[in-house]
Amino acid sequence: MRTLVVIPFAALLLGILLELALGRILSRRWKGRLAFIAGLTAFGAVLALIPSIQGGQAVQFDLGWWDEGVGLALYVDGLSLIFALMATGIGSAILLYCITYMAHEETGTTRFYGLMLAFIGGLVGLVFSANLLVAYLCWEIIGLCSYFLVGFWYQRKEAAVGARKVLIITHAAGYGFLIAILLVYQSTGSFLWTSAEMSGAFTGAVFFLMLIAAMAKSVIFPLHTWIPEAMNAPTPVSALLHSACYVKAGIYLAARMYSFGGWQPEWNSAVMALGCVTMIVGALFALVQTDLKRLLAYSTISQLGYILTGLGLGTPAGIAAGLFYCLSHGIFKGTLFLCAGAVQHATGTRDMRQLGGLEQRMPGTHRIWLVAAAAIIGVPLTNGFVAKWLLYSAALTSGQGLVVLLAWLVSTFTAFYILKATVSVFYGRLPDELRGQDIHDASPTMLAGMGFLAVLALVFGLAPQLLMKWLVVPAGQGLGMAWPVEVTWLGLQTGAMTLLTTAAAGITVLAFGAGWVFYRLTRRARSSDVPVFTGGDPLPEGDRVGAVDFSELAGTTFGDAYRLLDPDPLYMGVWRGLQAAAGWAADRARGLENRAVLVWIVGALLLAAAMWIW
Amino acid sequence: MNALADVSTNWMWIFSVVFALIAAAVWVYARAIPQGGASWWVLSVAVVGLTLASTLAGAGTASMLLLDAAALCAVGLILADRSPAARRAGRLYLTMTLAAVLCLLLAERLAGGVKPVYPLDQVVSALLLVGFALKLALVPVYFWLPMVAENAAPMSLVLIISVVDIAAFRELVHFREAMPWVFEQHQAVWLAAALLSMFVGALLALGQKNLRRLLAFSTLDDMGYLLLGVTVGSEIGISGALLGAAAHALFKLLLFSAVGTAENGLGHAVTLADRGLGCRFPRSAAAFVVGALGMIGVPPMIGFAGRWRLYLSGVAWGGIWLGLAMAAATVLALLYYVRAIHLVWLGPADEHQAVSGEPKAVRLTMVLLTVGVIVLGLFPAWLLAF
Repeated sequence: MRTLVVIPFAALLLGILLELALGRILSRRWKGRLAFIAGLTAFGAVLALIPSIQGGQAVQFDLGWWDEGVGLALYVDGLSLIFALMATGIGSAILLYCITYMAHEETGTTRFYGLMLAFIGGLVGLVFSANLLVAYLCWEIIGLCSYFLVGFWYQRKEAAVGARKVLIITHAAGYGFLIAILLVYQSTGSFLWTSAEMSGAFTGAVFFLMLIAAMAKSVIFPLHTWIPEAMNAPTPVSALLHSACYVKAGIYLAARMYSFGGWQPEWNSAVMALGCVTMIVGALFALVQTDLKRLLAYSTISQLGYILTGLGLGTPAGIAAGLFYCLSHGIFKGTLFLCAGAVQHATGTRDMRQLGGLEQRMPGTHRIWLVAAAAIIGVPLTNGFVAKWLLYSAALTSGQGLVVLLAWLVSTFTAFYILKATVSVFYGRLPDELRGQDIHDASPTMLAGMGFLAVLALVFGLAPQLLMKWLVVPAGQGLGMAWPVEVTWLGLQTGAMTLLTTAAAGITVLAFGAGWVFYRLTRRARSSDVPVFTGGDPLPEGDRVGAVDFSELAGTTFGDAYRLLDPDPLYMGVWRGLQAAAGWAADRARGLENRAVLVWIVGALLLAAAMWIW
Repeated sequence: MNALADVSTNWMWIFSVVFALIAAAVWVYARAIPQGGASWWVLSVAVVGLTLASTLAGAGTASMLLLDAAALCAVGLILADRSPAARRAGRLYLTMTLAAVLCLLLAERLAGGVKPVYPLDQVVSALLLVGFALKLALVPVYFWLPMVAENAAPMSLVLIISVVDIAAFRELVHFREAMPWVFEQHQAVWLAAALLSMFVGALLALGQKNLRRLLAFSTLDDMGYLLLGVTVGSEIGISGALLGAAAHALFKLLLFSAVGTAENGLGHAVTLADRGLGCRFPRSAAAFVVGALGMIGVPPMIGFAGRWRLYLSGVAWGGIWLGLAMAAATVLALLYYVRAIHLVWLGPADEHQAVSGEPKAVRLTMVLLTVGVIVLGLFPAWLLAF
């Protein structure tokens, strides 16, 4: 087992070293293939670890020293494995996609693949580490990789600005994690979260500091504003950032805190409240976007809110729902981003106002998008449906009716903005600007990368018990939460407490079926003109409601909410205040430099006087 | 006490190697981008030689005198540039150095190895604080450093900050071991000086437009952390301070090399008005980014190995609030470094700017140093085993 734990690190490290060593010799495609092989090897080793964590078991051993007195202690349990599988599995699919996507990049591909592998390796290191200080090291390695990858096209202003925001917000909040670790060490004399004394050291201050760090990484309100700005990165980076490696690091930390022992029930309310606010804020802002990747970025914020809410419920079913949601989100969000990248690759734009009618030109991408879009909305037969259902069920059985109501409301918003994106990009007429262009579907390797993820979304929607039995339940057991597997095919729940939810879902499916039948029966009538009352003058012939109309409508309806829920003006105010204070202080100091000798005599006397007094 | 003595004695070798490496890099750089005439070379060899001799001599008056002689040679490096501003900066550095030497020698003489009686102990403590504040450029007597930074050649600056200054810091650690009562009796004052340097240094750095001055104030800022580790005085604090000091020396070499190379290519001082230098000087940009992030202790650079120890000693002494204060000062540092990185180095280049590139030897030095500080940060146990 120990060998299997080490293989992912060895494969990724070897991949990085080979990329660096052979960077000048290999073609861009071969660099991509090399990175994919390294990622796939790591994924295979992590998959092979699954049997060893059944029943809440863990693999643990020491790998030597990182620093004086700080060991490389490894601990692999169900929770670690979920996140390591996401990083290596989804990461490998993304690397496969990169082979063609990055083949046209003139420079920097060695840097790109080296950073991508380090990024994946950083997350595996974080989730496999029993030593909190080493976990922090990996936490920051992930942060630094994302900074360099978001700023990959550093010659472009928007990419550099996006990278800056990522670094400032996430690194600054990361000090919460570091200080919390040092407080734990101060109490226990150990950096190991597996130590017996950990529960005593896990105080409210430690929890709060770790939560702040997790919030910034996992784009939880109000520390979420960096992620839309990070969209100027190459699309595979966005996909990795959103689905597997970056935002999930914070979720891992939030879940891992249950392992520390000493979790206080009152903290659940705080976590749940943050989750609910985040899911609303993300969805509201997604409604007004006209940039496809920015829309997906805000949807990530909203979806992360769902996941945190599940974890915040604090019950075995809630945590299981949160973890299942986390895996599902990784799969469908990765797919959506890769599809968005394929669209941008083919058309040169991701502005939904300039897109449309791509269904005919990009049929493969269109079908894959539809599967992922259905999953994020929560359509039955997809993993997204099971994730939402589990969450609603867990909230209902915990008596959290308000959470269900909010989650349902946000789900309708999700359906609105995802349908807006789907229609704007794939349906309707091809815009005149794109007609002359040679737009064709994504290459086979790109389709294979995103198709693999879409297939997973369907497989885990049809047979969610596979994930539940082999990963989610062992992870829950590792966190001290025993939860019997109550999910069967299609996500049907068999527990006595969840029969009502099952019945409700059954009615929903029936309603969908009835709707489909109704649509089929009335379809023929669509060809004739139907006078539609639009509330005033009729729309011009051939016009349709597009992304702009939709965004303007949402912007007008929720205008005040957008002003209220955007923390960026506050951050900007703090920055301006600091800059003004710094400028004032620098001017005064410059003036004193002209009288340096006099000032140093006064300064020296002051220091001496202070020494005398205290 | 013995444990502390062991810690700093072991570090004698590490510092010697670090100084030798820095000297080698400085001379390679100076061969490619001239820093001065023959006198510069003679003086730079004297500065490095005397500092190495002082380091290898360990503690005591001989070591102090050797280091003072190195500082006086460093004054010569500044005066080698005959511009009025450089001469003024040189004179100020000379005045401050002489005052510091006087304070420290007097303090050592008065103390004589044992704690003197009141009020002499107060006088000794005050002389030590003022002496080291002048030498290390702490707030409020830091004025020589920004003036020197603005007017000396880049590699002269590296020799002053990364070699002479860091050796002076090692001297402070010796005083911490030899006269612990100075620090324990007046811990609040030393800590106040450390925090003041951290915050004022960071705030003043944020207000700078010239990159050399910004880097000078960042030294003030970093000295605050190092002083805090020494003041707390635990084994972890001292080793954190020494590791941080060694890392500081290497990162400042990277930073000034990057700025110096860009200045050489552009033909003027680099300020926040310059744009997109990363397109013209890619390796210098990478060196600056790694140097800047390493200075504030971002993993996986070697700076983190020192910083976490310093944070730990801060939390151990002052609890969560001192830890948070240190983190707040670091966030300020992050702001000024990131501003410099993104305004000056990243983003689109000014197409109309005529520049010459990065000399091959300088490029190679910067790449090796960049890789070195990352590898050491990933495996700090190697360095400490040394």
